[in-house]
Amino acid sequence: MGQQPIQQHLYDYEIVKKFSAVSVIYAIVGFLVGVILALQLAFPDLNMNVPYITFGRLRPLHTSAVIFAFGGSVLFATSYYVVQRTCKVRLFSDFLSGFTFWGWNLVVVLVVITYPLGITQGKEYAEPIWPIDLLITVVWVAYFINFVGTLAKRKVEHIYVANWFYLAFILAVAMLHIVNNLAVPVSLTDSYPVFAGVQDAMVQWWYGHNAVGFFLTAAFLGLMYYFVPKQAERPVYSYRLSVVHFWALSFLYIWAGPHHLHYTALPDWASTLGATFSIMLLLPSWGGMINGIMTMSGAWHKLRTDPILRFFIVSLSFYGMSTFEGPMMSIKTVNALSHYTDWTIGHVHSGTLGWVSMVSFGALYHLVPRLWGVSIYSVRLINFHFWLSTVGVVIYIVAMWISGIMQGLMWRQYDSFGNLSYSFAETVAAMHPYYVFRALGGAVFLVGALVMAYNLVMTVRQAAPAGQRVAA
Amino acid sequence: MIKHETIEKNVSLMTILTLVAIAIGGLVEIVPLFFIKSTIEPVKGMRAYTPLELKGRDIYIREGCYNCHSQMIRPLRDEAARYGHYSLAAESMYDHPFQWGSKRTGPDLARIGGKYSNHWHQAHMEAPRSVVPESVMPGYPWLRKTDLKYDDIEKRMQVLNMVGVPYTAEQIANAKKDLVDQASLASDASGLTKRYGNKVPKDDFDAQPDRVTELDALVAYLQMLGTLVDFSSYQAQTR
Amino acid sequence: MADLKDGKTTGHQWDEDEGFPLQEYNNPLPRWWLYTFYATIIWAVIYWILYPAWPMVDGFTKGMWNWSMYKELQQDLDDVAAKQKPFNDRLGKMSLKEIASDNALLQFAVSGGKAMFGDYCAPCHGGGGVGVKAGGFPTLADDDWLFGGDLETIQETISNGRNGQMPAHLKSAGGAFSDAQVDDLTQYVLSLSGKSKDAVAVARGDTLFHGEAACNSCHGDKGDGSLKGTLAGGPLPPVGAPNLTDAIWLYGGDLQTVRESIAKGRVGQMPAWGTGTTNRKLTPLQIKQLTLYVHSLGGGK
Repeated sequence: MGQQPIQQHLYDYEIVKKFSAVSVIYAIVGFLVGVILALQLAFPDLNMNVPYITFGRLRPLHTSAVIFAFGGSVLFATSYYVVQRTCKVRLFSDFLSGFTFWGWNLVVVLVVITYPLGITQGKEYAEPIWPIDLLITVVWVAYFINFVGTLAKRKVEHIYVANWFYLAFILAVAMLHIVNNLAVPVSLTDSYPVFAGVQDAMVQWWYGHNAVGFFLTAAFLGLMYYFVPKQAERPVYSYRLSVVHFWALSFLYIWAGPHHLHYTALPDWASTLGATFSIMLLLPSWGGMINGIMTMSGAWHKLRTDPILRFFIVSLSFYGMSTFEGPMMSIKTVNALSHYTDWTIGHVHSGTLGWVSMVSFGALYHLVPRLWGVSIYSVRLINFHFWLSTVGVVIYIVAMWISGIMQGLMWRQYDSFGNLSYSFAETVAAMHPYYVFRALGGAVFLVGALVMAYNLVMTVRQAAPAGQRVAA
Repeated sequence: MIKHETIEKNVSLMTILTLVAIAIGGLVEIVPLFFIKSTIEPVKGMRAYTPLELKGRDIYIREGCYNCHSQMIRPLRDEAARYGHYSLAAESMYDHPFQWGSKRTGPDLARIGGKYSNHWHQAHMEAPRSVVPESVMPGYPWLRKTDLKYDDIEKRMQVLNMVGVPYTAEQIANAKKDLVDQASLASDASGLTKRYGNKVPKDDFDAQPDRVTELDALVAYLQMLGTLVDFSSYQAQTR
Repeated sequence: MADLKDGKTTGHQWDEDEGFPLQEYNNPLPRWWLYTFYATIIWAVIYWILYPAWPMVDGFTKGMWNWSMYKELQQDLDDVAAKQKPFNDRLGKMSLKEIASDNALLQFAVSGGKAMFGDYCAPCHGGGGVGVKAGGFPTLADDDWLFGGDLETIQETISNGRNGQMPAHLKSAGGAFSDAQVDDLTQYVLSLSGKSKDAVAVARGDTLFHGEAACNSCHGDKGDGSLKGTLAGGPLPPVGAPNLTDAIWLYGGDLQTVRESIAKGRVGQMPAWGTGTTNRKLTPLQIKQLTLYVHSLGGGK
């Protein structure tokens, strides 16, 4: 270890610190809005007849806050950290680093202002209006240049596998974002998309599914490929597997979008492609899980003492579970039951809470002490957070499995004459207890994030003032 | 694995190959939808939204109704019984953006048009649980109190025309008049029906005869949903 | 599961100056992984051969099974139709009264009617027709009817809908009466169910009710509604004017609501389910089922 210490000021840690700090804030905001939404579904009077906080306006704020604000900031932070350390050079441009930070945060602020005001373009997971979309595009191009520029000037011969995934993520998101948001403006706040109906639906879910595929999967696999071996202090299990599953995942994922549109007015052929490619995607997705978990094999004993590794192993387990559940739900017959129900919501959250958030928490606990050159304030609190997160996710997804499958079955329940047994309203009433449990699960998860925030703030406060860097 | 060594030592090569890998799927799935004629069925009755319905649709989008309501009836037995004929691609051909939705916290709305009275919609928007006790929908009492802003209605129709909605110059020129006419009982609506057909529902949708509110627009939109295509003349390819 | 062959890494190393250096073993692809991956690919290829899958220049590969989701639906609908055919055949031939006295057939009809009622009717009339909190939607489970609760009238109501128009009376709302006169009418209407204490106003309202305002031409001389009431001994037109004497209110019986009804008028609209061109039109058979279900809710006559 450490044959030839490189001077620490070589790396731009400030930018990583900034993104790490805001990611914690956005996590709390995003989870909090999620809990409010969950409570609104359980107790609808909480909408309080106030336009700005009605479910319809708040839900996009939740999805954008957790995916793009929290997830995005974690990815900026970790990708900037990883690419510097694995290339042994400073980021390509300090200006671009700063630009991406302020630009991305401006996007978040604008989103937080516009959504509650009802200023939206009405495309799921792509609600920002066109000026914000343009800003996102500019920031993203800057990110791409900064990242690729860093790779280009690297002092290491081979590009490390984590960076392949980050690169695929940056490229895919650029492509998806631009195509899905093509629109003609009516005014500063309004526009109409160029695509309509069935084509717009296909473009939207090509975007929507690959926001999951590349934002929440590929990119976080990149994160995993750095932090898991680093924390476990074990070599990555299989380079060959990395290569095969990287290319298979990149190629196959993009096709899976139409599985969001089974049995809709989208033609059968497209639906078939969506289903079959989703099934073929299962093993390439699992490649990441295998590589992650097998990397930790040989370090199992560390799980007893290292709660960060626990976050990683549980996140990889949730990753494996949801990447199995996803292809299963993409089968037309299963999807006919699951679509439009809470099963989908449960599935998404087993991925986002179980995988994305947990692996991010692990990375942040690894990162923050190293960035500020101190040791973590409290390992016991990490452990506490770990249990809160795990219990919260489990409550959440079990509640949603039951409510989703139950509602799907109730919708298609027939009496002995072959007539529908339940009215829609009756199925809504049946959801109530599960909505309460779901809110509870989400709240427990939120408390966990607050514990993390406290722990990280206390950690940083140990560092010397004025952000002076001390070698870790 | 020798080949991969070359790729992972070369940023440009890696970038280009990755781009190729991620571009193919989308191209194959999206592009043919614009060219294969059977994608959008030939039907009778489809028309562009009236100005009032268009504003109603803008409000539907603004309030994020798509977060809880689908507008896509699937060709499944239970949905046929509950909601009616499955949705056709043609029925959303003028929808920029589409509003098929992904979740049914509330019921599908693709054929809500004409199902319930305007009075029901008024009561339901004001306080959903006053009519449906099981509902978890928020109340939207402000719609009834907010005058509809439609200064830019012509501009909206022009933009939609640019992206493929067949609004005529005459429809655009008469947009404001048609909008007001549709929302009031008293006025002469011959121009409106001439331009949009005589099936256009014309009513005082918000039960406030003296004003045109956001509720007028939203209810007008909801009351036309799913009513356009003439299914008596539509022959599905099912046998 | 493949084990670590010899513990040797690829020889590449990253980030070695701090903490554990990043290295990679080069274990072979786990066999189960590889073979399962191949299996999913084979499954996909078979699927493509059987089902519609690949876009062509204009059209797409239809698949050997010539499957389509619309055909699948048609098959399902045909199956249900075949199952229900014996019932429906008899339902079509028999009158509502005959069906009502045929227990087995009635059960079938009520089952179908209940299923439709839940999504089509309950939003206004409440689950089981017990009514809703908001005003203007008649309860169907009681014996107070606007147009009639016998089988034929219910069928007529469902098929063709109803339009109940109560005109506005207050000048500012387009009517012909002053605020004071509307107050008097309100007092009189309340007095019909014993809820007014202002005898003087009631007397004035009485005069208006049977005179200038001509409320009796719809609500009847006794104010007991168009269904039961009479006008000068003769029957009233079937306009659905409510009985004002029975303390059952369509919009609410407090002073303010009654006054509002008189002042601004009301429009009660029941959508037509059997006519028109809208795409939720019910068939005559479905309307028969719905009629029998509504009739069974408790208020049927």
